[in-house]
Amino acid sequence: MLGVGGLAGPLGRAALFIGLIGAFFGMVSAITGTYNEDEKVLRLLPRFAYLGMFGAIAAFACMEWAMITRDFSLAYVQKVGSWSTPAIFNFTAVWSALEGSILMWILVLACLTAGIAFKYRKKLNDPMVGWAMATMFFVGIFFFILTLGPANPFREGAAGVLDGPGPNPLLQNHILVVFHPPILYAGYVGMTVPFAFAIGALITGRVGEGWLVETRRWALISWGFLTLGIILGSWWSYEVLGWSGVWAWDPVENASFIPWLTGTAYIHSVLVQERRGMLRVWNLSLLIATFSLTILGTFLTRSGVLNSVHAFSDSSIGPYLLTFFAIIVVVSVGLIGWRGDRLRAPGTIDSPMSREGAFLANNVIFSVFAFVVLLGTVFPLIIEALQNRQLVVGEPFFDKLAVPVGLTLLFLMCIAPVLPWRKASGELLSQRLFWPAWGGIAALGLSVALGATGFEPLLTFAFGGFAGGAAVRQLALATRRQGLRGLVGRANGGMVVHIGVIVIAVALAASNSYTHSQELILKKGVVARYGGHTFELTGFTTTTDARRTAIAADIRVDGGKTYGPAVTKFKSMGTNIGTPSVKTSFVNDIYMTLEPPVKVTSDSAKIKVFIKPMVMWLWIGGLLMGVGTLLAAFPGTRRRKPTDPTSALVPVDAPL
Amino acid sequence: MNRLKSKPVWMLMAVLFVALLSVGTTRDKGPLTQSDRIDAITKRIACPTCDGESVYVSRASAAESIRRQVARDVAAGTKSDDQIIGSIADTFKAQVLLVPRATGIDSLVWVLPIAVFVSAVAGLWSAFRRWKKSNYGEATADDVALVQKLLADDPRDEDNV
Repeated sequence: MLGVGGLAGPLGRAALFIGLIGAFFGMVSAITGTYNEDEKVLRLLPRFAYLGMFGAIAAFACMEWAMITRDFSLAYVQKVGSWSTPAIFNFTAVWSALEGSILMWILVLACLTAGIAFKYRKKLNDPMVGWAMATMFFVGIFFFILTLGPANPFREGAAGVLDGPGPNPLLQNHILVVFHPPILYAGYVGMTVPFAFAIGALITGRVGEGWLVETRRWALISWGFLTLGIILGSWWSYEVLGWSGVWAWDPVENASFIPWLTGTAYIHSVLVQERRGMLRVWNLSLLIATFSLTILGTFLTRSGVLNSVHAFSDSSIGPYLLTFFAIIVVVSVGLIGWRGDRLRAPGTIDSPMSREGAFLANNVIFSVFAFVVLLGTVFPLIIEALQNRQLVVGEPFFDKLAVPVGLTLLFLMCIAPVLPWRKASGELLSQRLFWPAWGGIAALGLSVALGATGFEPLLTFAFGGFAGGAAVRQLALATRRQGLRGLVGRANGGMVVHIGVIVIAVALAASNSYTHSQELILKKGVVARYGGHTFELTGFTTTTDARRTAIAADIRVDGGKTYGPAVTKFKSMGTNIGTPSVKTSFVNDIYMTLEPPVKVTSDSAKIKVFIKPMVMWLWIGGLLMGVGTLLAAFPGTRRRKPTDPTSALVPVDAPL
Repeated sequence: MNRLKSKPVWMLMAVLFVALLSVGTTRDKGPLTQSDRIDAITKRIACPTCDGESVYVSRASAAESIRRQVARDVAAGTKSDDQIIGSIADTFKAQVLLVPRATGIDSLVWVLPIAVFVSAVAGLWSAFRRWKKSNYGEATADDVALVQKLLADDPRDEDNV
């Protein structure tokens, strides 16, 4: 077994080299073929893209093979492999640290590049496609170099190592590690496609609306993956970390959230460009920002400059990522400056009280939000650099600024869906907002009747009801016209996404504001009460296997099912990991953790109980956002092309 | 129906909104239990040995130790939340606040977001003023024809209005 496994290293390195060759010659062919308008050369692009994909898939397969066969000749397997790791977590161990994560990045990127080459195989002579392909290959080259250099997963390890510690215990505790990282990476890497087309549009000077139409669906689906990845990460955090929360404004969380914010701004503002031909520079900037922020976020969290409970790595790739980030920013800004004359918007926005006005306001808020999160994340670095002093910027800072920003966005979601393009009159708004506004009053009244308190949560519930009413109104109008078909398409799928966001906002406000907790010392056979629930210790269950010893307190909740909050000791690391146990319902979660000291021989256990309202609605909201994204990605009933003007063109010599 | 959506009804709605919000806000009594108060305080304190986590979030032993000290102070009931945090800072001789101060260079983290927001709003305001000046005013005959054609397609479609 070891003999066969020993081939994984050389084969993996060879596969990465093949991938690099594919990407390099792909980029050279794309540039020379497009520049010289040489169709023969351009026809080679798909082959190079497929070669890159082959290299990436083969390298990933080699790494999986090395992990499965426990090939401890590789340093990476020595770091995250172990004979005692169960098969499923051994499979996911490949992306449990930096080198494997970068390998997964290159896998997704190479597959996307091949997908683009296939989709546009008959349009390769279009210079915009050619330059977009060159950009994709360029990004690919960078990541192949990373995997062959500072983040090489196939580097040989020390001789004589026969076993390893396995992945971080937090990464072998929950099934979500199978889904969360790949989905998040699909979102991150997917943003390369619209970025590449934006660069293609800038180089060719075709900065009109054509490139947007080409990439709209790619951007939307990547955004959907990013959304889903973030929500699954929150779920993992909730189920594994044991502090009962879903979001702690940790640098790794922020690194995924910042591009999500700019991406969200983009998928709104792009509609203004498609419809009115405006905001060209802004949309290009948002796309470039989204892509470059994924690189900056990776630099911040993977280079060791900022630490995080989610980082699971510390490496020397920092300078590479920083240089790549700088190249992207400088080249992109340079191209925008170069094409400045063609980027001037041909139209104007008539009134702030219009759909495009609302999108602009939305963009301002999203951009400020992204800036706040970025500033809070890097501020400790700035202070350390300037004053050589440690500073922590944590949850209270982000909460203080995020709550008003979030409420403003929620308020915009009340108004924006009913606004027409160009200009809205007061009378029209009064007509369209009437019932949604009553939805807000009803939600507020219901919350107060149920005993809700606090200014911010109550405002969230009121705006949630209002915004929900506005979204439902849009969907009702669409389905009345077109039946269920009315749910499909950008605008109406977007409304389903809005409903998902509203559900998440309300659930977050409720769970953050009305969580109550209590430490309980339970004695066997004695029923304790807290928060309207009963808790009874029935015993302890000890599970021992080659990698860990887990002690769970068996607690019967409300006289029914038994739950087992546990403390697990991983033998190879000597680390104690608490594993919460959660009784979930639509109304609230009962979240239990086993607190030290834990003595199996005693007849008592100390647990901490958190009663958390509405947590399940966070995941339901996430699901709604995913469904809405899918609905938005499919074309709705198109009454006109998205690039058609909504008013006749004004002659150039029209009087001012 | 139009009468239903008249100004007085909107006024009624506004009054209801303010009244309900006032009722809900004024009956807020803060943390319910000692444990809730411990949670509220530990959310404001940085774990001294962790990577930017709060004591509330962290499972590290230093965080456990601080939680126990906060629990003792809360149980004693003689100190305010700020005094408890102050005593933790004295004990651990480390940066324990998770919120930067609003003085010196630290204040930049508060000032910059506000400055960016104000600049963005000012930029938007100036853009709208510019756009308003450059608008051509009256719709052309082609504009009118285009709108009429779209409305004829589907007069109920708000997207066409």
